[in-house]
Amino acid sequence: MSHGHDDPTLHPEVQMSTSRGYFSGFAISSILMFVATFLVASHAVPPFGLLMVIAVCAGIAIIAQIYFLLHIDVSEHNIWNTVALVLFMPLFLITIGLTWWMFSQLYLRTMIMPGMMH
Amino acid sequence: MLVDLAGGWNPMLGRLAWSQIPYDNPILAPLFVAVVIGAVLVLGLITYYGKWTYLWKEWLTTVDHKKLGVMYILIGLVMLFRGFIDGLMIRTQQAWAVGPHSSGVFGATHGYLTPFHFGQVYSAHGVIMILLAATPLLVGFMNIIVPIQIGARDMAYPYLNALGLWFTAAAGALIMISLFVGDFAHNGWFGYAPIFELQYSPGVGVDYWIWTMELLALGTTLGGINILATIIKMRAPGMTWGRLPIFVWASLASNVIALTSFPALQVALALVAADRYLGAHFFTAGLGGNLMLYTNLFWIWGHPEVYFVILPAFGMMSEIFPTFSEKPLFGYMTMVLASMAIAGVSWLVWLHHFFTMGAGPYVNSAFSVATMLVGIPTGVKVFNWAFTMYRGRLTFNAAMLWAIGALFLLLVGGLTGMMLAVPAINYMVHNSVFVVAHFHSMLLTIVYAIFASVIYWFPKVFGFKLNEFWAKTMFWLFSAGTALVFVPMYMLGFMGMTRRLDYVFNTAWHPYLLVMEFGIVVYTLSVLAFFALLYVSVRDHASNQVGADAWGTSRSLEWLTHSPVPFYNFAVLPHVNARDEVAWRRDNGIDHVQPDHYEDIHMPNNTGVAIVLGGLTFVLGFALVWRIWWLCAFSLLAIIALVIYRSFKGDPGYIITAAELEQMEKAAMRREARIGKQQHRVGSGVLGEAIAYARSDLPSLASQPGSTGGLDHRS
Ligand code: HEM
Ligand SMILES: [Cu+2]
Repeated sequence: MSHGHDDPTLHPEVQMSTSRGYFSGFAISSILMFVATFLVASHAVPPFGLLMVIAVCAGIAIIAQIYFLLHIDVSEHNIWNTVALVLFMPLFLITIGLTWWMFSQLYLRTMIMPGMMH
Repeated sequence: MLVDLAGGWNPMLGRLAWSQIPYDNPILAPLFVAVVIGAVLVLGLITYYGKWTYLWKEWLTTVDHKKLGVMYILIGLVMLFRGFIDGLMIRTQQAWAVGPHSSGVFGATHGYLTPFHFGQVYSAHGVIMILLAATPLLVGFMNIIVPIQIGARDMAYPYLNALGLWFTAAAGALIMISLFVGDFAHNGWFGYAPIFELQYSPGVGVDYWIWTMELLALGTTLGGINILATIIKMRAPGMTWGRLPIFVWASLASNVIALTSFPALQVALALVAADRYLGAHFFTAGLGGNLMLYTNLFWIWGHPEVYFVILPAFGMMSEIFPTFSEKPLFGYMTMVLASMAIAGVSWLVWLHHFFTMGAGPYVNSAFSVATMLVGIPTGVKVFNWAFTMYRGRLTFNAAMLWAIGALFLLLVGGLTGMMLAVPAINYMVHNSVFVVAHFHSMLLTIVYAIFASVIYWFPKVFGFKLNEFWAKTMFWLFSAGTALVFVPMYMLGFMGMTRRLDYVFNTAWHPYLLVMEFGIVVYTLSVLAFFALLYVSVRDHASNQVGADAWGTSRSLEWLTHSPVPFYNFAVLPHVNARDEVAWRRDNGIDHVQPDHYEDIHMPNNTGVAIVLGGLTFVLGFALVWRIWWLCAFSLLAIIALVIYRSFKGDPGYIITAAELEQMEKAAMRREARIGKQQHRVGSGVLGEAIAYARSDLPSLASQPGSTGGLDHRS
């Protein structure tokens, strides 16, 4: 009549996590953040290029974090992580996509162009 | 320091200075004295009666989901009261400061609040009512009821549960202390760019707002994860998805929203904090900042949030209507689908809060249509409740009255919401008090459902019923107050009165504002009735005791176990056979079968870590507000260290042996037997004799195996 007597560290999702994985995730995202901050602070690239570089850095950081820190993949024993991913993808597309749409329509009408905003 | 701070800063105290204590404020100073005296009195009483160990052992360190839920509800009720006082102040100012000839006191030109103070009052009112009253009250109910309804012994993560509570408490403390140390934001509950930028709001008010909301978001997200995991993983044998009580389904839908949307709020506020603390330019006017991006990010969370709070209320109504109609809920499957549909659509509509941004006809009509889609599942629910009551054996007790009140308000709020969802109408009434009336109808739906639930589930948690007379008195006073305040508010909205006026220029509106002031006085009476309700009920509790099935017509699993619910919930986990298990057992004559033997059960230990972490987050919040960097570093490090310590220590839990369990169960059964006799002797059929004898189809108690007696009206 008991639950939870089994050793939690034997669970597959816990077994998957290694300090090396966490460390690489942390290192990769930190480096990417420093790169982005440095590029912005030093004005090394023209604004539009900056936007692109930061976006790419953010994209890589997201993937690194999903993989190394959250261990989200599509394997069998990680079924709940996969469910979370399936829930997350449409929401991500909705928020980013609709935001992009409404603001592009807004700029169209108020004549604020992203390149002019500084 | 990356930003320029008005009023100086020193390394020791940050921005804190004596001048920040409003001891010269004619309202706050006496209040402060009263609070101090009250606090000393309470602490003194606890010490005098030697209750500190009890308090620490039984409540402050508990991981029991029921006690945590009760504390959530207590916080919610206290904050509801504070928010009500804010509302009273707003109404009074608007009834007073009308027209150029209105008088002014306490330094205000008109009325008694300066614009600066008025802004803080309505901002605090909104934050408190939505995030610190409605949310904790609902989370509290989900905490108490969900595990019992699915036949679990506790939440999936008892310690995380305690952590969520103490984060909420820390946030409550933070917003309360802003009354007496510094001031609060004046940017409304949702904030406006760029008014909340450091340049335009140089004080600490906005910082209090940011960190209070961040803490609440954190606590609610943790709570949401816990409830989701509990529902998915901890159901009793036989509790299939198709048998889950609707309140559990509603909690599931609601917490899916919480889990997915609160991070958006946290990001939005973190970016505001970056602007104010690091000199970033996310939402500044100029320098690449984008004002509307804030509004956008906020409502990406904000609209799902309003459905996060309404869905549990829908769940409550879905439990109460069937019980007091003596019928199963009409359209179980459609109810489930409607809850999920509402959760899904809630993600697609947030732009309706800023149609007037001017994103153009395509965007506005798309979001308008999406918004109106919500009306379909909501309408399904309303019809389901109506059909549940149709031809039922209705009992109009206080819980039922509150639930019916909720239904009517839902109609009013939903229909005005539909009006607001039409961009052409919205352009006319946006930011008018019509909008305010709309969302108060909606949020009052929640308040009605909550009071219905307080009455409905109180006997389950505490073992005795609340007084019917005072509960009904409170209901009628509250409803009169609602009508008197919000009908004129809808009318004023159509006349063009904008929201948040500290001075009302149009004297033609005065009569309406006076009616609303009268309404708030009636509300005040209902608050007094609530106190009377608590007092009378506790005074008479010995004669209002109830057994497991407090209402005699209950349907779902929580009514199977004893009242008050033992800390282990179920001595032996029940096996679920049907959708409305308790009703099913009653109909099949096995509602009093007790388990024939017991086994050891494994329970989690109490822990003081959660409350200490709560305290440390409060310190961290306070230090961030006042920019006391050493204290920030200290509390943050302490938090990290404590979390690591707790993670490695873990909790082996403890065992209740079968013998101990049997003793406790026997005591609980003796209690029920005693109540049965006592009620029989006194003859006070709580539910009314009509139902008692109309239910002669039920088998008599004496023939039941292991029968221990129950309510008189079934014997
Ligand atoms: C039938 C469903 C609903 C519809 C169609 C609807 C529609 C709307 C619209 C269009 C607005 C924007 C008004 C404006 O600012 O111009 C609005 C505001 C609001 N609604 Fe609803 N709503 C619905 C349900 C709810 C529910 C269930 C709640 C909460 C429990 C709620 C709470 C709010 C709040 C808090 C605001 C205003 C926030 C603010 O400006 O301070 N609504 N609603
Ligand atoms: Cu909305």
